[in-house]
Amino acid sequence: MDSGDELDEYLHGDSALSRQYRGETALEPPHALDRAILRAARGTTVKSPCLAPLAFAASVLLSVAMVAAVILAPASTMRGSDTPRVTRVRLYSESADTRRPSEWLADIAALRRAGRLREAAVEMQRFHSVYPHYIVPSDD
Amino acid sequence: MQFLDEDVHLMLRYRDGDPGAFISLYSRHKGPLYRYLLRHVRNAGAAADLFQEVWSRLIATRARYEPRAKFATFLFHIAHNCAMDFFRSNANARHSLHGNEADAHLNEAEAPEHLRPDRIAEFAEQRSALLAAMDALPREQREAFLLHEETGLTLEEIARVTDVPVETAKSRLRYAVRKLKNSLQTVTEAQSLTLRARTI
Repeated sequence: MDSGDELDEYLHGDSALSRQYRGETALEPPHALDRAILRAARGTTVKSPCLAPLAFAASVLLSVAMVAAVILAPASTMRGSDTPRVTRVRLYSESADTRRPSEWLADIAALRRAGRLREAAVEMQRFHSVYPHYIVPSDD
Repeated sequence: MQFLDEDVHLMLRYRDGDPGAFISLYSRHKGPLYRYLLRHVRNAGAAADLFQEVWSRLIATRARYEPRAKFATFLFHIAHNCAMDFFRSNANARHSLHGNEADAHLNEAEAPEHLRPDRIAEFAEQRSALLAAMDALPREQREAFLLHEETGLTLEEIARVTDVPVETAKSRLRYAVRKLKNSLQTVTEAQSLTLRARTI
């Protein structure tokens, strides 16, 4: 059969190929994704309204602490230790940026489970800066 | 306007503050979008991430939404861009896996691996064979096929979603259809041969 006819026949619809494909396609997204996206669409991405101001204050405090640490650390430590400190931060940032969202969130969850809450909070901030639109599923 | 389909009206209602309209939109498109991403990137975790990213972008930019095409074209253009970002970020891994496979598949004379006689037995079921054949397609051809199957987009709309001329979209879909049909035909013939051998 001429390739043009073959394509026209396919585009006309109800080809054996389409029927075979559609018989295969019952896959739907997981319900957890549905819930997260619908919640985000309603504008309720924050888990608990009463915790929102607290979370904001904590994130501001962490940001200030991180900036202060970066600015003040060279003056308060020996010159010889400056380079490794800066290098380590840069390398960590690069490796974090290459992670897929689900992998990164799994790492953050692991930090939380290990009780390393401050690191988890910092990581979550970095996550949001790299994926500003990503809908983080709630823990519930 | 011709392209002001019902989905466009739903999106306009969502843009203007009706969350119920989003639920309708989401219900209609979540399956096709998820399957498109899953079959396109061939990685469940990445597909879930991309699925979230697509809807997140739509939600985040809804205030700026202006209907210029069918809603499906708008949605899947976002999805195409997200998938392209994913492929770019995984370019090294992809290259090591596939090399110049895409170019090789453009050569019609070359039989894909799944059509080799020694592999046919592995694809006894036609559905498995179809999925395997889809996986073996070059990314661009697979995407054209998925866009048509999952959304019913025309060649012109597929071209718009994927940012290519219509002739390119047509060529990709033609190659995809031919290869997939051939793979199904091969499996059908293999199955009938097996059946005949059992009856002898």
